[in-house]
Amino acid sequence: MATKTIVFSPFARLEGDLQVKVDVEEGRVVRAYASGTLYRGFEALLRGRDPLDAIVITPRVCGQCGLAHSAASAGAIRSLLGTQMPPNAYVATNVMLAIELVLSHLAHFYLSFAPDLAEPPYDDEATRRFLPLRGSSFLGALRAREEILGVLGLFAGKWPNTLAIQPGGTTRPLDASEIRRARGLLGEFTEFVRQQVIGCEPDEWLALRSASDLDAWLGEGAHAASDVGAFATFSLKQGLDRLGKWPARFMSSGGWPRATGETLMKPGACEADGDAAEFCPGKMLEHVKHSWYDPSEGGVHPFDGEGEPAPDRADAYSWAKAPRYAGAPAEAGPLARMVNDGDPLVVGLLRRHGPSAFVREMARLHETLRLLRQIGIWLNEVAPEEPFYRETPRVESGSGVAVVEAPRGTLGHWLRAEGGKIRNYQIITPTGWNLSPRDSEDRPGPLEMALVGTPVPDLARPVAISHVVKSFDPCLFCTVH
Amino acid sequence: MANLLWIQAVCCGGETVSLLNSDHPNLQAAMRTLDVTVLWHRYLYDHGRGKMEQVLDECAAGKLHVDLLVVEGAMYSRAPQAATWASGGPYTDWVRAICSMADYAVAVGTCASFGGIMATGRNPMGATGLQYCRSEPGGLLGADYRSRAGLPVVNVPGCPAHPDWIIGTLWALRSGRLREADLDRFNRPRVYYGKLAHHACPRNEYYEFKASATAYSQQGCLFENLGCKGTLCESDCNERLWLTRTGSCTRGGFPCLSCTSPEFPDGFAPFFETAKLGDIPTSLPLDVPKAWYVGISGLSKLACPERLRRNAVSFKPVLIE
Repeated sequence: MATKTIVFSPFARLEGDLQVKVDVEEGRVVRAYASGTLYRGFEALLRGRDPLDAIVITPRVCGQCGLAHSAASAGAIRSLLGTQMPPNAYVATNVMLAIELVLSHLAHFYLSFAPDLAEPPYDDEATRRFLPLRGSSFLGALRAREEILGVLGLFAGKWPNTLAIQPGGTTRPLDASEIRRARGLLGEFTEFVRQQVIGCEPDEWLALRSASDLDAWLGEGAHAASDVGAFATFSLKQGLDRLGKWPARFMSSGGWPRATGETLMKPGACEADGDAAEFCPGKMLEHVKHSWYDPSEGGVHPFDGEGEPAPDRADAYSWAKAPRYAGAPAEAGPLARMVNDGDPLVVGLLRRHGPSAFVREMARLHETLRLLRQIGIWLNEVAPEEPFYRETPRVESGSGVAVVEAPRGTLGHWLRAEGGKIRNYQIITPTGWNLSPRDSEDRPGPLEMALVGTPVPDLARPVAISHVVKSFDPCLFCTVH
Repeated sequence: MANLLWIQAVCCGGETVSLLNSDHPNLQAAMRTLDVTVLWHRYLYDHGRGKMEQVLDECAAGKLHVDLLVVEGAMYSRAPQAATWASGGPYTDWVRAICSMADYAVAVGTCASFGGIMATGRNPMGATGLQYCRSEPGGLLGADYRSRAGLPVVNVPGCPAHPDWIIGTLWALRSGRLREADLDRFNRPRVYYGKLAHHACPRNEYYEFKASATAYSQQGCLFENLGCKGTLCESDCNERLWLTRTGSCTRGGFPCLSCTSPEFPDGFAPFFETAKLGDIPTSLPLDVPKAWYVGISGLSKLACPERLRRNAVSFKPVLIE
C-alpha cells in the first residue's frame, strides 16, 4: 500500500501556527498529527510573580479570547481566597464574555471558515458573498463589529486586554443611561444579524427544535438567502456533514455562572450517543510523552505540572501538551456545550449528521444566536444602584482553580501561591483539548482522530482537511501559551 | 498599486484583532483609502495570491516588491528555532530578509516594537522587538537599520495598538508623508504618541484635588493608590477613545499600565498599586518637578471640595445638596 505523507503549515485564516501532518492511503487520511510549532512560555514567566500579575499577563495569551483568560485568572485568585463577587459583577462579566464569544464566533465564520467555500475548488454563486475583502457578507460582518464593540467598550473600557475583571468584581459600574446606550447598540447589532445572518427574527431561529425544523426553515426564501441559510444548504450539498467525525466525548463546564454558582448551560462530560457524566476539573490530567517538555510518567494534574521546555526531544512533535479527561480525549467548544446542555436543535442535528464539521459549524452559529439573546437579558439584570466590586484580601499562600467557557471551549487556570508569589501556574485551553497530540498511551487527540478517513482526492489542494481542522476553530496562540 | 505584507511572529494575534476593531473608518473604507494589494495577512489577504510560503519566498527574493511590511509580534533572537514556520525555518530569517527589501517596515504592537510581554522576566528565548529590545536600540535588525525608503522601523506600540494608530501610520507612509523628524525618541509617530493617556481622562478633576479612589469601581483618581500610569503613558487613548469611542483603560475603571512604553510591562510593576516613598508616589508625572508636586498636592487635598471627596470613594454619584 502506497502511503503519501503531506504536511501543511501554516494554515491560512487560522489563529496561530499549526502544522498538520497526515498519512494518505488510497485517497484517504489514515493517520494525522497536529503540532503547535511555536513556544511562548507564559506559565514559566508567571512563576515568582505577584498572583495579581496573572490578570495582566494571561489575557495576552490570546488576542481573541483574552477576556476569558482574564476571567479565569481572576476566578483562580477568588477560588484561592474563597471570596465572592457582588451579583452585578457576575452579570457584567457574563456580558463581556458573551460579547467576546459573539465576536469570536462571527470572526471564525466570516474570516476563517466561510471564505474557504468561496475559493477553488468551489465556484458557487451562493458562496461568493464570503470572498475575503470583496464578498458582500464578508464586508457586512466586518462593519457590524462596530456596534457590539460599543457595548463591550461600556463594560470593558478597552479590548483586547481589558483589566475590568478583578478578583473582587468588575471595575466599571454602569449607570442607567449607559445601560440604555448598551441596549441601543445591541439593537443595532441584532438588526445586522436579522438582515444578513439569518434573514428572520432571532426568536424565530431560536424556536427551531429539531433537524426537520431546520429543513422547513431552509425552505423559506428569506432564510435560504441569508448567510446561515446559504451556508447550510451549500455545506450539505458538499458533504461537510460527512467530514470530521470521531468517537466523541464532549466536555463543558456550563459557563456564564450567576452569583449562586448556577451556570447558563448544563455542565457535563457526555459521549456522542451514550451516557452523560458529571463535569469535574479534578479529572483533568496532562500528558507530555509527545510534547517538547521534560518527560513525566503518565498524566500529571495541572497543580503539579511544571512544563520545563525540552525542544531537543526527538520523540515529541508539538509544543502543545495532551490533556485527558477521565483518561480519555475530549472535545470542547460550542458543540460540546450545546450537547451537554441538551439543546434540542443541536442534539437533533447531531443525531442526524453525527459529530461532523457541519454540525460543529451549526452549533457555533446557533450558540451565537443564543448568547446574543442572553446579552439582552443580562443587560436588564444589571442593577445600577448596587455595587459591582467588593475588596478582597491579598493573596498569600494556597491554591485555586477556575474553569470558564471561552468561545472555543473549556478553559482552566490553576494557581498555586506561596508567600504572596506564584509558585506554579498552569493553563489548559480549549484548543489544547481539541488539537491535543498523542498521550502517554499513544492515543491521538480529537482532531487527530477526526481527520482519519478524510478524503484527499487532490494532494495539492486538501480542502476537506482544512474544513475538518477549522470546524474545531483552533487557536494555536492559546494552545502554545 | 502598492503591496502590503503583514507577518505575525511571536504574538497573540491581538494587533490583528485591534485592526478588525477599526471604526470610523471601518476597515473596508480604511483599506480602500490605503489602496494596497495585501500580499499576505492571516485573514485579509487578497484572493488568489497563492500560499503564504510562496509569497514570502518571492518577497524575500525581491521578486515581489514590498512597499509596506507590517510585523506583529516579537522575535526570538536567542532561540529562533522555537518560533518557526515548519516548512520554512525561523521567523527571524524571513523577517530579516524581507526587512532588507521593504520600502517601509512597521512594527505594530509593543511586542514587535520593543519585545513587550514576550520579553518579560528571564526571557529565555531572547524575545526582542524589531529595532529595540525594551528601551535599548538594536533589537533584531540593529540600531543602524534603515528601510529602502530610508526610515528606521516605524514603531506603533500599544498592547494592542489602537486601530487609528495602525491605519493612520500606514496611510502616512503610503502617501510619503511620514519623515524621520515625525518620529519620537523611540521611533513612534509623534502625532499619536506625543500626548499622555492622562489627557482628557474623565477623572482629571479628581486628579487635580488628589481625590483618590481607594478601591476599584470608585469614581476617584486611580493614580495615588491603584497604580495608574496614565501620567507617564505617551498615548492619546483618552482623547481618541476605544471600541467605537466608548472607552479607555481609565474610563473602564482600571489603571493605565503604560502599554505604549518600551518598558511595558515589567517597568510598570506593581501593576495595581502605586509605589510610594512615604506618602509620595515614586513615579511622578513625566515632567512635574518633585518639590512642586509635593507642595501642590498637599494644598490640593486641603482645597478639595466635599463633592469630590465623597464621590472619589463612591461607585455611584453622590449628590451634595
